[in-house]
Amino acid sequence: MRAKQQEVVAAYLFLLPFLVTLGLFFLYATVRAVYFSFTNYDLFNAPRWIGLQNYVNLFREENFLFALRNSLLFSAIVTTVQTFGALVMAAVLNQKIRGLNFFRAAFYMPSVTSSVVITLIFLWMYQRQGLFNYLATQVVNYAPQLGAFALVLVGLQALQVGLERARGLPARWNDPALFVISLLVAVAAAWLLTFLGVLVPRGGVVDFVWLQTRQEVPGVFPTFLRAPVPLIAIMIQNIFTTIPTFMLMFLAALQDVPKSHYEAASLDGATPVQQFFHITIPAVQPVTFLVVTLSLIGTLQMFDQVAIFGNAVPTRSVITLAYFVYQRMFPGAQLPEVGFASAAAMFLAALTLLIVLIQRRFIRSEAS
Amino acid sequence: MKRSTGLLLALSLTACSAALAQTTVRVQGYGGQDPAIMQRLLNEVIGDDLQAEGITVQYEPIETDYNAVMTNNLSAGTAGDVFYLPGEVAPGFIATGRVQPLNDLVDTEPFIDALLEVYTQDGQVYGIPKDFNTLAIFYNEDLFDEAEVDYPNADDTFESFAEKLRAVRELDPGIYGACLSADFARLGAFAYANGWQPFNEDGSVSLQDEAFVDAFEFYTGLVTEGTAVQPSDVGAGWPGDCLANEQAAVAIEGAWILGFLRDNAPNLAYGAAPMPRSDETGERGNFVYSVAWAINADSPNQEAAVRVLEALTSEEAQQFILEQGLAIPSREALGELDYFNEDDPEAQANRIIFEGASDGNVLGFQFGNIGTDYMTPINNAITAVMTGQADAASALQSAQSELDAILARAGAR
Repeated sequence: MRAKQQEVVAAYLFLLPFLVTLGLFFLYATVRAVYFSFTNYDLFNAPRWIGLQNYVNLFREENFLFALRNSLLFSAIVTTVQTFGALVMAAVLNQKIRGLNFFRAAFYMPSVTSSVVITLIFLWMYQRQGLFNYLATQVVNYAPQLGAFALVLVGLQALQVGLERARGLPARWNDPALFVISLLVAVAAAWLLTFLGVLVPRGGVVDFVWLQTRQEVPGVFPTFLRAPVPLIAIMIQNIFTTIPTFMLMFLAALQDVPKSHYEAASLDGATPVQQFFHITIPAVQPVTFLVVTLSLIGTLQMFDQVAIFGNAVPTRSVITLAYFVYQRMFPGAQLPEVGFASAAAMFLAALTLLIVLIQRRFIRSEAS
Repeated sequence: MKRSTGLLLALSLTACSAALAQTTVRVQGYGGQDPAIMQRLLNEVIGDDLQAEGITVQYEPIETDYNAVMTNNLSAGTAGDVFYLPGEVAPGFIATGRVQPLNDLVDTEPFIDALLEVYTQDGQVYGIPKDFNTLAIFYNEDLFDEAEVDYPNADDTFESFAEKLRAVRELDPGIYGACLSADFARLGAFAYANGWQPFNEDGSVSLQDEAFVDAFEFYTGLVTEGTAVQPSDVGAGWPGDCLANEQAAVAIEGAWILGFLRDNAPNLAYGAAPMPRSDETGERGNFVYSVAWAINADSPNQEAAVRVLEALTSEEAQQFILEQGLAIPSREALGELDYFNEDDPEAQANRIIFEGASDGNVLGFQFGNIGTDYMTPINNAITAVMTGQADAASALQSAQSELDAILARAGAR
């Protein structure tokens, strides 16, 4: 009995450092924030109890409503795209292909890079004379050549496959040997047409404003469903940096799926796409739950990328709930609105909890 | 024998503590290049005298968001004894009650009145301006020579200035007349020249006022017509970059550009001219940007802090700052310096910036208790027009409603 007690004491002793930090920086801080959210505290004067006033004021604040819409849109779109993207990428990297380790390392790179560095690089690419607009300009200018290339490629491939089949030979539409021939001929044809002056590159510059704009798309949607263009820019960047992390989780899960399932399915004539939807997705469901949960929490609380974009973009186009809290905590030249910021923070916490609970009803956390 | 050793030990201890009776005064300010300047100021100019009085100064730069960190420091009681008080946030900091009023502690007489006003509230002075800056036109002489037009000069009006820029623009598709940022901190000077005020008497703001709209259309029009360019559109970080890279012939900046040009474009032949006059009023407009030294009301070392503040704003210290090409001294007497008459582009530019503080409609870079939040809606409007996404009227209308909301919120508290 004494030995048992000693064991318990020892366990708590080992837990103690963690419990102290947790208690101090999480429990205590949370309780304080809950209390402040009912007061008009400003860091300098003693807090005064004002009941639910802060929470009521939240919904009278235009920027808060923008922040709420932006956060929900951001979370919904980014979570969906990156979960699916991560799963597909993991499925691809789970194949036996040459240079697998290189690809795994290369695809993981964006996740290990500091988000400040990535944001600065993206800021530069999103400029009006940046990389994105440059590439778009090239595509627009060489549209005739690209069109001709695509037409010749598809036409020639169809012709070759048709001929092979007419001769009674089994040829798939994406037969690699025929494809190489089509590709080479298409490149040559596009080059020749340009050389002969039949196809002329079009002039013109794509001048799309990614950042310094209040444009919201798509224009036909009601206001609360439109996404501001700068927010989409941040979505693209966020998806790019977080897919690899989630891919790693899916990859771990995929290693556990028995190969025999795929073999059995392919013997029954299932295509790779059918295998993906009927074997891979159900098999990794517990991990999908984890990924979706982590992604929802992460995206609802997204802050750093908005903060770094900062003054380069109109505030209301990118403001998120977490950034709203920060802005109220450290306003320009006024006293900090700690009470108001705490109320917004509490709202964000409750919203996150609610959304995670809702998604639990849709994705089961255990494989059936 | 034993007793004498004890005595000796006691004696030597007293001697030691006398030598060590140094009060350490913590000074907090910006990071960036400021720590190096402060270190040199302490080592070469004022450090020895303070040391002799038993005061050690320790500079603690704040590298991130200075205002946010300082707000925290003040409320937590960890702020330095002496710290920077930026003009644009001074009302907010003073409202915390943690900034020491200086009327009875420091002689404010030698400092320029317009500057002291920025840090004065209810008759009490809360900060001694350490230096200041105004705006001037910095131009590339070679480009104007090549275009065969006169350099910008003191007689220019908005229109004649714009004509000169257009002539330079003709030279080469890759060279713009001016590099203009979408920033009220520049455009505002043109609006002030037209006689516009940032706040009406009742505290409201009118962006639909003809004087403002006129300046707004002039400034943004230079970009939309292609005479000027935004720095970000030519891959530059700020107008100083454009000027140094010869992408634009003109940049509207303060003395902070001098050190930058010295390092980044040592062979650039440049000159400085005062801001152009309004075609309507014939006046110039300008901002005065300044940062003051303030004392922490909770500091346990009040006396030493006052001594340090005096040393930091002394004539010797200000002369040093001036000669580093950083900013203009805040002492009236230093305006008489021979330095300003030297035949050297830097000295000439410094003179024009010094004179800018008293020529025409000059206002402090300060926007009451909403601070720099004042500029956000206006900057967004400038950007929207410069990038061709909105016309001036509609952009100003939405800026007006946003600004009204910001003012209403600040007033409600």
